[in-house]
Amino acid sequence: MTHHSFSDRNLELDVDYVVVGSGAGGATAASFLARGGATVALVEAGPWRDPADYPSSTYGAMRDLFDDWGVGITRGRALWPIVQASCVGGTTVINSAICVRTPADVMVDWERDLGVGGEAFRDAIWRHQDALEAELCATVVPHEAAGLSNLRAAKGANAIGYDNHPITRYAKGCTGEGQCLQGCSSLRKQSLNLQFVPEVQQRGGAVLSCAPVERVIVEGRRAVGVTGRFREPVTRRLGARFTVRAKKGVLLAASVTRTAPLLMASGVRHPLLGHGFRAHPGTGVFGVYDDAVDMNRGATQGWASTHWRTDVGMKLETLAIPPEMVASRLAGSGALLLERLEEYRRMAMWCVAVRAEAVGRIRRGLFGEVNVSYGFGRPDMERLRKGLVVLAQTHFAAGARKVVPGVYGLPYSLGPDEIGLLENGPLDPRAYILVTSHLFGGTCMHGDPSRGVCDDQGRVHGYDGLVIADASVIPSTLGVNPQHTIMAIARLFTERLLDA
Amino acid sequence: MILWLARSAMVTLYPRTDAFPGIEDMDLDAYLLDYKRECATVMWIGFVLGTLLYHLTPLLTVLVPLPAFALSERLQALHAERLVSHPVYLVRQPVFLLKMVAGLRWGSDPRVRERFALAPYPADPGTRRLA
Repeated sequence: MTHHSFSDRNLELDVDYVVVGSGAGGATAASFLARGGATVALVEAGPWRDPADYPSSTYGAMRDLFDDWGVGITRGRALWPIVQASCVGGTTVINSAICVRTPADVMVDWERDLGVGGEAFRDAIWRHQDALEAELCATVVPHEAAGLSNLRAAKGANAIGYDNHPITRYAKGCTGEGQCLQGCSSLRKQSLNLQFVPEVQQRGGAVLSCAPVERVIVEGRRAVGVTGRFREPVTRRLGARFTVRAKKGVLLAASVTRTAPLLMASGVRHPLLGHGFRAHPGTGVFGVYDDAVDMNRGATQGWASTHWRTDVGMKLETLAIPPEMVASRLAGSGALLLERLEEYRRMAMWCVAVRAEAVGRIRRGLFGEVNVSYGFGRPDMERLRKGLVVLAQTHFAAGARKVVPGVYGLPYSLGPDEIGLLENGPLDPRAYILVTSHLFGGTCMHGDPSRGVCDDQGRVHGYDGLVIADASVIPSTLGVNPQHTIMAIARLFTERLLDA
Repeated sequence: MILWLARSAMVTLYPRTDAFPGIEDMDLDAYLLDYKRECATVMWIGFVLGTLLYHLTPLLTVLVPLPAFALSERLQALHAERLVSHPVYLVRQPVFLLKMVAGLRWGSDPRVRERFALAPYPADPGTRRLA
């Protein structure tokens, strides 16, 4: 079992395949290649944190697990942080491991509009999702681990009468510690640093951590490896150079915000490289109840509704956040802010993720930095507002005394008879505190090489041995959490590589 | 100097109240030094901007031509409240970052967590797999 971390000694490896990025796409692809008998090197920009290394606090999570402290932003009229991890296992370490099958309608659209996929593609995706659900113990959040926030969301939704459900997650025997965001130190969540990455090692592969790739080595039109310099995660000091040469192929799964810029830095040219960035930005509404909800007891995310996924374009879900995050999320300062925080135990936060029609662009700046331009137009703002209204109604139906919408220009809290204020709330994105999650695109697949960067096997048009295996290839929003789709796509592309 | 200014702003944002300890009771100097050493460059730049903005704008909020640290406690509290709810987005945002960094410390304090019936956080190990 080989692991190479920060070093002052140059490292050169020769393998069949090198995979860049160890998150949902990369770890899945690497393990599948290793199962197929290939020699694999898995190269991760961030450090390898075992459960014993996991932080407890949000400060620690931002420092030790988040990509650049979570301050990567999308730039439009408003600035929205991009939440993703930079560590072995990628964002699977800090997310809620939500497992939702790729919706059929999405793949029908891909085939009709983009000439990718088709029936065999759909069947293969779902076949791989069957296997992944079994391997990673996909389980519905148990009632006893749900916690009051999740149970009240179900109560409110049922009272109103819209479809909703407890969430299925890759979690085995969740005990509701409410620590998904900081890494599940009770080892219930099946994040990929605990699953597929060790498997790569056990099957003779190598894992490089603290190893940000600078460029793909391209000879002629063929990708033959990657190179970069180790970087110490705390001091950011650069170490020695690593070079991994790959006889059979280079797979990129560095995340939506990193894969396209890496191709740009490597001299790969395509007019649509960096285009087609999409996301599910979201925000939350607090409900304040008469009794303690203690949202941090129970599954961090245990309830969802996809009732409005297709007609409106939004998904609702619960999200428990700790006091240190609520402290900055609530309006006000000083004694007034602390007075509001006294209600923390009686608060529950429920969120809307907008299936946005907005399309952005990823660029690589002069100094190699990543710039993402992206912003909501009026239709997406109306979706957001609709979601906030439904969440407020659900809180009241569940027994909340008031809601705290966190919208600039509206009162701090609203009573049941004040929802109209939210319905007519501002359509300026700067009035809302949003987070950009569930990222897609940048190297979108398309059947026509002039209209997409890669094909429906992830192969970059015009290059040999260069495959994208993360959400960068996904050419539309899904309206559901993307991890299951990303992993299935990575397995499918890898399976086709092994078959070739 | 910037840490001193940040400290002054944070003490106003999270003061001592009857219900809670203030951030000044939470080893704030050590926290700020750790934060300066560990945070991402972009975050540090935003933090410095937020701190400077906080101290240089009382004229806009409370109509007093003095830096915020020179204001009375009452005026500084009023200035902070008006700044975090300022109509100009690009004024609100850097101060939001300052408030967030302070909130990360305040909300993770064991006394605050105890008030919310939460167990204290174990220390963040800050370790990683080396080999």
